[in-house]
Amino acid sequence: MDIFQAVKGRRSIRRYKSDVVPKELIEKILDAGRWAPSGGNIQPWKFIVISDRNLLELIRKVSPGYLGETPLAILVCSDKEKAYKVGGALGRDYLSVSDCSMAVENMLLVAYALGLGTCVVKSFARVAVKEMLEIPEDIEPELLVIVGYPAYEPKPPVRIPLREIAYLNKYGQNFPTNLEE
Amino acid sequence: MSREKPTGNDYLFEIAVFLATSAQGCLNEPPLYGPFRLLDALSKLADLPDYAPGLAHDPFLKEIKAIVDDKKFLVMYDVEGFRRAIDEIVEKFAKELKSRYLAPK
Repeated sequence: MDIFQAVKGRRSIRRYKSDVVPKELIEKILDAGRWAPSGGNIQPWKFIVISDRNLLELIRKVSPGYLGETPLAILVCSDKEKAYKVGGALGRDYLSVSDCSMAVENMLLVAYALGLGTCVVKSFARVAVKEMLEIPEDIEPELLVIVGYPAYEPKPPVRIPLREIAYLNKYGQNFPTNLEE
Repeated sequence: MSREKPTGNDYLFEIAVFLATSAQGCLNEPPLYGPFRLLDALSKLADLPDYAPGLAHDPFLKEIKAIVDDKKFLVMYDVEGFRRAIDEIVEKFAKELKSRYLAPK
């Protein structure tokens, strides 16, 4: 799949089929995550694959943003201790979050290219999720990626036109573009 | 996805967990997530008779649930539409209240 097709075609999916996601596909998604850019090459990410049905149901219960039911979720965490050791306060407080976000975007695009649907969830009860997944003190849950086969095809959401957000050489100076919506 | 059908008590507990975790989330989440969670809770509550023997389905609440489920995601891309949907729902509740409690005996 063409990269731009994946970028523009990916949607947040909120209804899924019950089909199980094969392990080979999960590995490809995780592999895409670890090849994301990383500030100072900290690579602070840890990926927890949640496929146990009962555990997944508990995670869903404590995650108000987990809409729909999926056969799989991947919790992307950051190792705050490692990020601090390598990147100082900047690494711990900012780079670890942006690195994990970039890893998640890689994962979403690869999942889409593999025919899977995803949705990124930040609305989960952090304390409850840490307890259920036995996550150590210095490991911070950043984003929950729910994964499954989409049960529908959502309409594209509205995007702010490029002319309203892109500038040339200085802030506020129009970036000439003919690209519309 | 299918899962084992919860008992009435389990389902009620599930709603309670949803409300508690939503309350925690609402401390820091975008303000519009508050009404979104409340609508989601309303939708879940309307399903309670499916799980709790002895509770009868309320056709009005089923109608409201259908509207909620159809329109709650407007919050993600059409805030004005989301506001209008909430207005519509509350207006329907007002009319229903009148017909239930103020109708001539």
